Amino acid sequence: MSSLDPSFLIKAPTHPVGVYKVSKNQVFKDHRRFGFSNIVLVLTILFLFTPLIVVITYSFNSSKGMMWTGFSLKWYAALLFDSEELWRAFLNSFIIAISSSAVATVLASLAAVGIKWYSFKGRQFIQTLSFLPMVLPEVIIGISMLIFFTAIKLPLGMFSIFIAHTTFNLPFVFLLVSARLDEFDFTILEAARDLGASERQTLMKVIVPSIMPGVMSGLLMSITMSLEDFVITFFVSGPGSTTLPLYVYSMIRYGVSPVINALSFVLILSIILLAFALRRFLKVIAASS
Amino acid sequence: MMNNRKREIRLGTTYSFPMGIWLFIFFLVPLLIIILYSFMKKGLYGGVEWEFSLAAYRQMFNPNFMRVLVRTIVVSVAATFFTMLLALPCGYAMARSRNQTLLLALIIIPFWTNSLIRIYAWIAILSSEGFLNETLKFFHIISESLPLIYNQGAVVTVLIYMYIPFAILPIFTTIDKFDFQLLEAARDVGANKTRAIISVLLPNIRSGIITSFIFTFIPIFGAYTVPLLVGGKDSYMIGNIIVDQVTKTRNWPLASAFSLILTLLSTLGVMWMMVSSAKERSQSGKKNPSFRQGGNL
Amino acid sequence: MNKKMHFIFIVIIFTISIVFTAGCAKEEAVKKQSDTNTLYLYNWTYYTPESVIEKFEEEFNAKVVLDYFGSNEDMFAKLKAGGSGYDIVFPSQDYVSIMMTLDMLTPIDLEKIPNSRYISDLALSKATYDPLMNYSVPYFMGAAGIAVNTKKVTDYPRDWSIFSQTKLKNRMSMLDDMREVMGDALAHLGYSVNTTDEKELKEAQQLINGEWKPNLTKFDAEGFAKSFSSGEFYVVQGYAEAIFEEIEEDRWDDVDFFLPEEGGPMYLDSMVIPKGAKHIELAHQFIDFIHRPEIYAEFLDRFRFPSSVHTEAMNYTTKEPFYVESDLANYELKNDLGENLAAYDEIWQTVRYTD
Repeated sequence: MSSLDPSFLIKAPTHPVGVYKVSKNQVFKDHRRFGFSNIVLVLTILFLFTPLIVVITYSFNSSKGMMWTGFSLKWYAALLFDSEELWRAFLNSFIIAISSSAVATVLASLAAVGIKWYSFKGRQFIQTLSFLPMVLPEVIIGISMLIFFTAIKLPLGMFSIFIAHTTFNLPFVFLLVSARLDEFDFTILEAARDLGASERQTLMKVIVPSIMPGVMSGLLMSITMSLEDFVITFFVSGPGSTTLPLYVYSMIRYGVSPVINALSFVLILSIILLAFALRRFLKVIAASS
Repeated sequence: MMNNRKREIRLGTTYSFPMGIWLFIFFLVPLLIIILYSFMKKGLYGGVEWEFSLAAYRQMFNPNFMRVLVRTIVVSVAATFFTMLLALPCGYAMARSRNQTLLLALIIIPFWTNSLIRIYAWIAILSSEGFLNETLKFFHIISESLPLIYNQGAVVTVLIYMYIPFAILPIFTTIDKFDFQLLEAARDVGANKTRAIISVLLPNIRSGIITSFIFTFIPIFGAYTVPLLVGGKDSYMIGNIIVDQVTKTRNWPLASAFSLILTLLSTLGVMWMMVSSAKERSQSGKKNPSFRQGGNL
Repeated sequence: MNKKMHFIFIVIIFTISIVFTAGCAKEEAVKKQSDTNTLYLYNWTYYTPESVIEKFEEEFNAKVVLDYFGSNEDMFAKLKAGGSGYDIVFPSQDYVSIMMTLDMLTPIDLEKIPNSRYISDLALSKATYDPLMNYSVPYFMGAAGIAVNTKKVTDYPRDWSIFSQTKLKNRMSMLDDMREVMGDALAHLGYSVNTTDEKELKEAQQLINGEWKPNLTKFDAEGFAKSFSSGEFYVVQGYAEAIFEEIEEDRWDDVDFFLPEEGGPMYLDSMVIPKGAKHIELAHQFIDFIHRPEIYAEFLDRFRFPSSVHTEAMNYTTKEPFYVESDLANYELKNDLGENLAAYDEIWQTVRYTD
């Protein structure tokens, strides 16, 4: 086994990899702050945040309707002291989002590597199969899984939701990682092997870092899809496994309560705080190593 | 040589089979149930009666459904087009930015709020006395409220909003991998910026563009909630019909048949795109596909 | 070496999956352990006030687990496909009769529900599918009506023809519900809301497509109350409890909510015990508990419902209902249409699918 570290073969510098790395593109000019693309990006982010601002505004409204009737914190009080079921639904959603997206990301990233880089029997089959769950209408996936789970006597509940979510998350991660691999320079791999890198070294030092942005995007996307899904979850959920979207959608006949808005704001705030905390933490780690 | 080939098969199999098996059990088997259902007689209260019937496929050719199909195509094409138009520059700017993690978070975080809540927020923004109309009136840009909500325009706007992150992510991921020296080179030989982007950048991120198209067009085509909530009296889309057939009309075979046809069409479309893109890539000889074909190392 | 690595890799993946799934499974196991005194309810959201649930939990030393559905159709699609594990479900009349036909329900032992004596004759006479409460105990009977914003609209007919008013064009909505809208049209024309007569249905279709639909902004079963409250819609067909919930009490005077006298469709939600329920004893106790006059009054007050199925609770209520039982006199329950659903569906397609 050679002592050569094959990672030097990647063009990018090897310090902090993944989405945390300083983009190599900084090296070059043509990075104008007010370029066309930057303006579009800022406008798009504004576009994405406008409804969120409305959501947050309504969480401070003193009445339930769409008319502004004065500032109030009563929905936050209700959220904290009187929303046991909401929190339970949220917790269910959270558990399922994390577990299903983690499993889907691992399975799909591996599969993408396998399919893009190696040829073997069944490759085409898996590739086609891998994006079908995305194409089939949700309600049909929901119904068919419900029929299937009932047929194999799998009790409906958290576990069946987990399976369903993992299934519909797979194609998204798979396609994202595949797209990233499509632009990959395969000679690197050959070179790494010629230099005697083991399969594991190739995987950990060459493949994983280079697909990391794809994997991260896939993970984020899966979490998002899982937190959002209503239709499929509805069919495969069982007693006591109500998720947040199920809870929210069932309010439709009676009017969705602003407590949900309050929860959204709390959630976003905590994500931001967590991100900051982690950033600190990561910096400390980076500095110590 | 032989060893390489063997190793390749073994590795490919180890990497891919966990997902393959997962999908086989939890997706293919249920899908087969649906295929079976579409050829059955409709049960009076949902489900099917175990009797072969092609009624579902006959019922699909109904002028009312065709009308909705045409509308769905128009709306999805429009929404996908605008989404991609926005996503390309966004992905580009993100890939070139120093704060990728932050931007990624900014794009995704709004989507961790329940979609129903966000759609209601759009209703509040777009309605006659809503935020947008009131703001425009405040600045005397308009004097009468514009009809912004409960029409196809609103449906397209909110659909763009709902799916834009899904379009940005693949584009960002591939542009991030792109070697910007190529752009510099193109400009050095005299291409202007737009020209360089069109002839050098876009062909190199083709797979990202295709993925992002798939991520937007297909879900939009099956959209259900958005047309229902922000659409007007004539905004029904195919997704709504399928849900209605499952729940309200309780015609499961028809819903299954609809889904199968849609699945078949989109699968063919996607495969055609993938194949043609792979062909072009190998023709241009840019990347080295020999490794994947194996055996000739 | 390589082989080993890959083996380890696969092991890691499956460990991750198993750890997560075990987490889920454990939760289920914990649930099962404490299962003997747990009641699983499948209900419309908020339909049973939390205070009532809490009182029940306390008195019977039981735990109530609630799950929700947004429409009968969704609930039924799910229950039909297979085992659900619920102890009490709250379907409306047409689905009670369907579930009875399909043998999906457990018979109810009225001896264990002494409070069933308070169920009104009116409700039982309407519940033609189960007048003796063999399988279902009525929960609430009501109807969708019309809400008018009297600040914006002053001169209007107080019946279904309000939707023909061209001066209110694009300021009105009706429910996105086939049976509701067609029922209103049929009632307005003087026919039964359950008619299967082709000519009568045709007339209703013409009324909806020719006179009502051109004036409507949309068919809306989800956001009508919010849009009415915000002033976007001046006239909506909808449920009183949803509409007033969105409006602060000091603006209630600007709202005229009424059930047109000519009649229309109404609903009767009942409590049923699905086949396969595991806590039948507790389910009976719950049903009996609900119909205790003071408890039932708590439910009525929460939504300002009239006491349409209960003969005693009105003596305990403290709030004025949004409409009264006698308003329901001309209203008819929407029955299950069976094979005739197709005829309705065909008409509804021309309403919803074509411009």
